[in-house]
Amino acid sequence: MSSHYEAPIRKPLVLGDKSYGDISNDIARPIETPPNTDWWIAFSIAMAAFLWGLGCMAYTLGTGIGSWGLNKTVGWAWDITNFVWWVGIGHAGTLISAVLLLFRQKWRMGINRSAEAMTIFSVIQAGLFPIIHMGRPWLAYWMFPIPNQFGSLWVNFNSPLLWDIFAISTYLTVSLVFWWTGLLPDFAMIRDRAVKPWRKKIYGLISFGWSGRAKDWQRFEEVSLVLAGLATPLVLSVHTIVSFDFATSVIPGWHTTIFPPYFVAGAIFSGFAMVQTLLIIMRKVSRLESYITIQHIEMMNIVIMITGTIVGCAYITELFIAWYSGVEYEQYAFLNRATGPYWWAYFLMMSCNVVSPQIMWVKKIRTNIIWSFVISIVVNVGMWFERFVIIVTSLHRDYLPSSWTMFSPTFIDIGIFIGTIGFFFVLFLLYARSFPVVAQAEIKTILKSSGENYKKLRDK
Amino acid sequence: MGKKNIYWKGFEELNEQSEIVKNLENNEFVEKLPVGNSEGDKNHNRRDFLKYAGFSTAAAALVGCEGPVIKSVPYVVQPEQIIPGVANYYATTIADGYDFSSIIVKTKAGRPIFVKGNKDAQSMNCTNARINASVLSLYDIYRLQGPKVSGKNISWKDFNLSVKADLDRLLSENKKVVLLTQSFASPTTEKIITDFTKKYSNIKHVVYDSISNSAALDAFQNSYGKRALADYDFSLSNTIISIDADFMSDWQGGNYSSGWSKNRVPNKGNEYTMSYHLQFESNMTLTGANADNRVMAKPHELKQALQSIYLNLRNQKYNGPSLGPYLDRYVKLAVDSIKKSGKKAVVISGLDDVDSQEIVLMINELIESDAFNIKSPKLIFQGSDKDLLNTIDELKSGKISGVITAGINPSYSLPNADEFSEILNKLEFSLCFTMKEDETAMNSKYLAATPHYLESWGDYEFKSGDYYLSQPTIKPLFDTNQFQDVLLVLSDSEYSFYDEIKNNWRTNILKGKTWGKSLQDGYYYSYDNISPKRIKSNLNLNTLSSSNDGDLDLILYTKTGLGDGQQSSNPWLQEFPDPITRVTWDNYLTVSYEDAERLGLENYNVSNGALNGSYVNLSNDNFSIKVPVIIQPGQTPGTVGLSLGYGKTQAMSEEMNVGVNAYRFYDDFKRVHKVKVTKVKGDHEFACIQLHNTMMGRDEIIKETSYEEFIEEDKSVWNPTVMVSKNHIETKVTSKEVDIWREFDRSTGHHFNLSIDLNKCNGCGACVIACHAENNVPVVGKEEVRKSRDMHWIRIDRYYSSEDTIRGDVEAKDGTSGFREYRATQTKLEKASANPQVVFQPITCMHCNHAPCETVCPVAATSHGREGQNQMAYNRCVGTRYCANNCPYKVRRFNWFQYSDNDEFDYNMNNDLGKMAINPDVNVRSRGVMEKCSLCIQMTQKVKLDAKKEGRRVKDGEFKTACSESCDDNAIVFGDINDRDSKILKVKDGDRTYRVLESIGTKPNVIYQVKIRNSKKI
Repeated sequence: MSSHYEAPIRKPLVLGDKSYGDISNDIARPIETPPNTDWWIAFSIAMAAFLWGLGCMAYTLGTGIGSWGLNKTVGWAWDITNFVWWVGIGHAGTLISAVLLLFRQKWRMGINRSAEAMTIFSVIQAGLFPIIHMGRPWLAYWMFPIPNQFGSLWVNFNSPLLWDIFAISTYLTVSLVFWWTGLLPDFAMIRDRAVKPWRKKIYGLISFGWSGRAKDWQRFEEVSLVLAGLATPLVLSVHTIVSFDFATSVIPGWHTTIFPPYFVAGAIFSGFAMVQTLLIIMRKVSRLESYITIQHIEMMNIVIMITGTIVGCAYITELFIAWYSGVEYEQYAFLNRATGPYWWAYFLMMSCNVVSPQIMWVKKIRTNIIWSFVISIVVNVGMWFERFVIIVTSLHRDYLPSSWTMFSPTFIDIGIFIGTIGFFFVLFLLYARSFPVVAQAEIKTILKSSGENYKKLRDK
Repeated sequence: MGKKNIYWKGFEELNEQSEIVKNLENNEFVEKLPVGNSEGDKNHNRRDFLKYAGFSTAAAALVGCEGPVIKSVPYVVQPEQIIPGVANYYATTIADGYDFSSIIVKTKAGRPIFVKGNKDAQSMNCTNARINASVLSLYDIYRLQGPKVSGKNISWKDFNLSVKADLDRLLSENKKVVLLTQSFASPTTEKIITDFTKKYSNIKHVVYDSISNSAALDAFQNSYGKRALADYDFSLSNTIISIDADFMSDWQGGNYSSGWSKNRVPNKGNEYTMSYHLQFESNMTLTGANADNRVMAKPHELKQALQSIYLNLRNQKYNGPSLGPYLDRYVKLAVDSIKKSGKKAVVISGLDDVDSQEIVLMINELIESDAFNIKSPKLIFQGSDKDLLNTIDELKSGKISGVITAGINPSYSLPNADEFSEILNKLEFSLCFTMKEDETAMNSKYLAATPHYLESWGDYEFKSGDYYLSQPTIKPLFDTNQFQDVLLVLSDSEYSFYDEIKNNWRTNILKGKTWGKSLQDGYYYSYDNISPKRIKSNLNLNTLSSSNDGDLDLILYTKTGLGDGQQSSNPWLQEFPDPITRVTWDNYLTVSYEDAERLGLENYNVSNGALNGSYVNLSNDNFSIKVPVIIQPGQTPGTVGLSLGYGKTQAMSEEMNVGVNAYRFYDDFKRVHKVKVTKVKGDHEFACIQLHNTMMGRDEIIKETSYEEFIEEDKSVWNPTVMVSKNHIETKVTSKEVDIWREFDRSTGHHFNLSIDLNKCNGCGACVIACHAENNVPVVGKEEVRKSRDMHWIRIDRYYSSEDTIRGDVEAKDGTSGFREYRATQTKLEKASANPQVVFQPITCMHCNHAPCETVCPVAATSHGREGQNQMAYNRCVGTRYCANNCPYKVRRFNWFQYSDNDEFDYNMNNDLGKMAINPDVNVRSRGVMEKCSLCIQMTQKVKLDAKKEGRRVKDGEFKTACSESCDDNAIVFGDINDRDSKILKVKDGDRTYRVLESIGTKPNVIYQVKIRNSKKI
């Protein structure tokens, strides 16, 4: 697939004087060495947050959804905001691994493994919310079209929530398979290096008997391509369907045809920001600066800037359409968003999502690690508020002013959200110490074409 | 029917001698079944072992899963009239000293569960929120369960002996005793009391009405020589001038709104009549909110206005203090309207001074008002302030040695209640007939537990010649005895109260109607039709003052929910939102914008939307109290309002202990007093269910038109068909082209529609409570209501205008251009005007034919009924709340918690007694499911089944819902639009029909009738 020649104008994707062996050593190091104190501190904090969140979920389960801040007018708030936020974050993984694979973007190889891991972990967080937000979560299985003995009861195929179930579960399955396929040669590498028998056994098991024969590689390439083809439409479909939860409703501020592309752009935007956040830390902690280079960070910053601009366009289009439609409810919904009691949320959303990425036009900033890190955090804060603004400000003042009210979260709402962040990091931290965090097998395929030392050799 | 089909089983049956056939007749199975003898059979094999093992495991597991054991006792002998699942109805009467009505009680399995007006009765047949809720007060766990002496339980026999001994002793010592009772309006009770006081000549009977009507009674007595209240039939008048008479609530015993509503819809057929209603008042009352023109005036100005109207009508000059131009204009308008209408006009007043009340009687006599009825005046109140004040003075001075109270709670409701309690405590003899261990009972020695009115016998004469009966609808739940029965025992009578009523009616009242029939009907009428002669012709017109010393006028009023406060431990009524302020679980000081600004008072919303208000210190010369403030649009500057009936503390749970006791300010039983108001620190947390008060100029919610426009213009002007844009072409919202749904055939079977007439609805909220009772709607408590989690299936939205009129709001909104102006207008529209127009709109589930909720439910728990209802399958609901979010009308209610059998919600559904009020036809929803109005599907199903059993078609008018049934004003009409002769179809096809938010295309089955305002401009 890949030739060993690359235009000299392209910057190297693997820095330093790396040999194949060096790559194996670098990637296997976090797995083969015991974690340091920093890891333990981070893990403890994440675990504590996760346990707290579990406690809040248990409390909700025990007493009822009333322990949240919802009311008769605002039936969804933090729950679905968190759901959409986590699903959105998940999007970057598939985009990086599938779409960039099809477009032969080799810089993806440094980041795709972690991006996919992030996808899976965040979809797990997202999946929690539709279950725990139910009044009777013990009946969650009724949402699946399972043949049953309840009579002729069947799910309602008209409901966007049902489409969500299909979309999310398909997405999770395909992402997981894709991720694992990519992991096979890398697991095999760890297995082959393992000295302890139990480690050998475990990695042998999860590498599915990878032998490294030419046939294995051929199949590997084929499966990757097929899965990339399958996953690409998912990048568009999942968040499109999530946006249908709102777009197909009759509530002003929700009932908007622009939502599918707007949501997909927003999802990629927030996903890349999250990848950025995670990798900037990881390259430092796991000493992967050679594989996740400034160039990688810059590339991602460019994606963030472009998707941020698309999202900004969508925001402004919404305002324009509200005015142009001449529908008074629509007009008021947007007036209320921008100037009503939740103006501060709208302001945060606008400044974080539209204004902040624009400074990436400056090359110095988009190649600066600190700036990139800060903006990646800002973008995710902004994207959380985007969902909050869409959900809460549309609901809290809709058609009949008699029902207008406000929403304020309880400590349970906040606890559950923090709990999912904790859960996410628990998973990610465990992953960072047990999985090969960079797709070393793939990196090795481009070492000779894009490795710094090989490029230098060619230049001479 | 009847003929049974016999099917062949085989050819063998042809052969009559066949053994197989014979065998078959005798045995179910022809061959011996291979059933082993389980006792001696030792050939258990592996499969048997597995079967037994499986069975035992399953059985053991099932035992572990067994639910809680609920003990129930079956009937040993089934009562004849109680058929499980079939309701019985009894006509009876409520007369608790505050509410008076002939009612029908629905009982199920021997338990009264629903109260409605007795529509066969000619008068006094209306119900209100309190009467509808009274069924729950029957099942109050705080009721007194048996007689007590000095706090100890005792048997009735010993109780009577002990009381009698005490009374005999007092009689022999010739010590004075006062019998202080509510107004009974009961001929037989009066007889019993007379006999009793004849025997005990030291006992004096004094009537005490907690809310005094003494001024009006005195005026009537002065004018006509009889202690009564004039009655009014507003359906006979087309000009109603009300000076501070809140006749749609409880003014002079209520029951007036149904007459008012009859004349509020102009018939576009031959005559276009619609009454004109002008209200002068200080507080914003329900009546003022419904008036065509509402004039704000201070109490002393109201008296002046009344006098001025009277003098103008006599063509005399008004010489009192100047009214000012604003009031003058309206007085002139009132006079002109009265003159124009002549006999068809009526003037009423709620002013509590005798002079004003005399003027009112004189005016109505002068104009020969048709609505004015003194031939058969109301006898429901008898109390005299003077007698009462004298009695209290005597008590203070120690001239009285004993007090017997019945049906009242003076230790709570007297202005100097603490003093009274102290005296009562020290008295030689105190006997309290009570349902509760309330404030008075706590200070009395003898507590006679009395039954609830639904467990009692009684007879009444509400109006001269209007007789009513009440009968027990359930066996007394506790060891109680009626006041009258105890008096009879004490008077050594061998008869019971029931015998006395029966005798009294047979001998003195009934002419040509049997006792049985009267009891079944609940009423009996016999009028003598003689007008009383006027005995006083000169009026006192010279006592008016215009003094205003800068203090505020406090105007005490009663709320639609709690009234005089005797049902304040009724959770339905506590959670009932006040029609005007929509605040639940509280009373508060209503203050005008102007005064609020001057005193630095504010109302504001906290982060979850809930309403907070400043506290003020409200004080007169000898009393001061800390009260929260509601800033009330329409409150006359210079006046403040505070409702009576709150602040009760005894014989109720902690949660019910809300509000402040305004009776402390009810000095001399006058409603108006000078008070000082000063702001104090702190904020009060209100539980208000409507946090936004204006309609923001949206014209698709409530449509209204003026009387003139309604008559002169075509429907297309004042109720145009809603248009939506399709491909930039304006298209009717009703047209097929803009419909994205495939319609199914609705022409067969029933198709239910519910119509709400905004011209007739006055927002009284009787339907809200009726719905509570019928549908087992849970009570969630103050904290949850504050979080906007009220559960009412029907709510009555109240909107104030922001401009002077509601129409002005729409014009203001439509007139804007540009973002700046739009934003400024929208901000301005959020605030209500200082004297706004008010509209009420009952909102239930709209049962949309194209329901947004139905499409979004992932488990299809809410779906469309064949008969037009949007149905909820509670046990299928998983609780995603998507349906509630997607409901444009926000009518869906979620069970945030388990509201029954939960100590966190310690209301009627948390104790076995309170649960007796549950309607067995409707299930109690569990935690985590969505609920909402079902169009009382249990009632429509019943009607259908009854008709089917009887083999007939359903007649028009048979289909009802709890709300339509409880609406005395006939504002709510329910029925089947597939029935071509039905009333609902006529209403639906009428010109005034519109649908709320029609442009969304939801096609609701709940329709509304355009409101017509007869406002006059000056």
